[in-house]
Amino acid sequence: MSTQEKGKGLTWTIDDADHMTQAEIYGEVLTQLGEQNDSIVALTADLANSTKIGKFGKKFPNRFFNFGIAESNMFAVASGMASAGFTPVVSTFAVFASLRAGEFVRTDVCYPKRNVKIIATHSGTSFGQAGTTHHCTEDLAIMRAFPHMTVIAPADAYETAKAVTAALEMDGPVYIRIGRSFEPPLHKNLDFDYEIGKAITLHEGTDVTVIVAGRPALGALEAAEIAKRNGISMRVLDMHTIKPIDEEAILQAVMDTRRIITVEDHSVIGGLGSAVAEVITKYGKSCVMRKLGLQDEFAQVGYPDDLLHVYKMDADGILECMQEIMNAEIEEDDDWEDED
Amino acid sequence: MSEQDRLVSRIYLRSILPLVKVLAEEKPVLKKAFPKRGVIQFITKEDGELGAAVVFEDGIIDVEQGVHVNPDLVITFKTLADMNTFFGGGMALPSIKGLKKIHLLVRILPLLLGLKILMPDAMPTDPEKRALKVKLTLYMITNALSQLNKGGDTMMGKFTKGSPDRIYQWTVTDGPCAYLRVKNGKTKAGRGTYTRRRPFVHMMFPSIDGAFMVLTSQVALVDAVKEGHVVTEGAMEGSKEIGLLMQRVEELVTP
Repeated sequence: MSTQEKGKGLTWTIDDADHMTQAEIYGEVLTQLGEQNDSIVALTADLANSTKIGKFGKKFPNRFFNFGIAESNMFAVASGMASAGFTPVVSTFAVFASLRAGEFVRTDVCYPKRNVKIIATHSGTSFGQAGTTHHCTEDLAIMRAFPHMTVIAPADAYETAKAVTAALEMDGPVYIRIGRSFEPPLHKNLDFDYEIGKAITLHEGTDVTVIVAGRPALGALEAAEIAKRNGISMRVLDMHTIKPIDEEAILQAVMDTRRIITVEDHSVIGGLGSAVAEVITKYGKSCVMRKLGLQDEFAQVGYPDDLLHVYKMDADGILECMQEIMNAEIEEDDDWEDED
Repeated sequence: MSEQDRLVSRIYLRSILPLVKVLAEEKPVLKKAFPKRGVIQFITKEDGELGAAVVFEDGIIDVEQGVHVNPDLVITFKTLADMNTFFGGGMALPSIKGLKKIHLLVRILPLLLGLKILMPDAMPTDPEKRALKVKLTLYMITNALSQLNKGGDTMMGKFTKGSPDRIYQWTVTDGPCAYLRVKNGKTKAGRGTYTRRRPFVHMMFPSIDGAFMVLTSQVALVDAVKEGHVVTEGAMEGSKEIGLLMQRVEELVTP
């Protein structure tokens, strides 16, 4: 099925993405959960098809609300519905959820700690061709700063399914950022442990640790395999939950490898890299660290995979960073005298 | 003089001779016989710089590398090969300068003879001696690996050049621990457990007896793993490489 037949507007970058994209899976999972939980209601702002929340709307038209292009209003209503005992699931593009409606998410959802779940699609540079206006490389920084907010960036469709399910099982506001392009699956199926706040070790290693969130995870895994063939032992941590972050996994990685690379489809300011750095400084640990992502810049317009490459968020970029970091000094170590 | 002789001398002087300090700590009775002061220099005519001095001061023994400025007794071998033969337990007669202080040699002799426990054919049955052999062997091997690198051994140089910062750790449960740190051509041998990062390869011996069997090659490594005498954590490729280098050390110091 072609992109033009399938979607309304420019939403796909490849054909036959039904069972692959995070949003498709999210739409399916939400519909299934809606059958089990009557309190779930779905809200969107004229993006039912693009965000795939429309699947829920077709199945439960009485529990589906389209607010038109009125995102701020939508979040205010979601907060009210949550206070009345509903479980609102709000879907819009990440750029609208975090920036246009940011104040309402902060004041109406987070401040009163409402049980609102935000599924923000088209995050990072995943909506590459739509241009900088539709990229969202600041949302992790914004959402992470809101008290009470749980922030999740699933790596693929399977993780998205797990994240949506876990988010609906907990109380309080949750922000899940997913992509919109063709995201190849990281996991083979749903047969893996997933817990909000607990990193998944995708690859064991002792020389360097790559801490990754979201769609660059597959590239990190690929980098680890290539590094292994070249004699470098790379650990890859899928840090799907940015907040609360898995401090234990980070500290263990610092202890074990002393070299940390964070990778996120986001600005390197305020997102995953910053969260990791905060943990390291909080506990007074020393290590060599590099943050891969948008280096305080807006992304170009382009295909999502090309953008991952341009901004060094793919396997090539990670390996290049690894080469540089492997030669970096970790500590004062002029003493190479053997103990006798 | 061959490069191999030089390497072997480095290992004897820098990795094995200093173990007299460990022996002295293990056997306090030996310490009682230490002179208040005295310096015994080991050197060769062939190479006037590659030497070591055993130094007694206030009942404490130390080993200083190089040439001491004021030795009491100088034991000079004709060649490095002769000195290696001597330390390997063979016959090689040196010339001795400072015969008035020959008693110093008598004092150090029990310690030098004690080092013979490192010889491959030394298979003590007494548990204490077995534990001592394990400790000395671990200390010797880690130090010797580092000396191989510092001495310019091609095989070791290839292993360390360009290596990331990696720790090779050996641990005996309720026993000694030692490690080798490797980083981009540099090495450091250390005692105890390196705590600042996880080992790249960690060879863990659950018991002294298991360690003894493995380190004296009484059991093949594959069988040792199968029988639980050693558990290796970390990179298997790294484990294999370090194993080959350990074999190289053994070959070099075995007369």
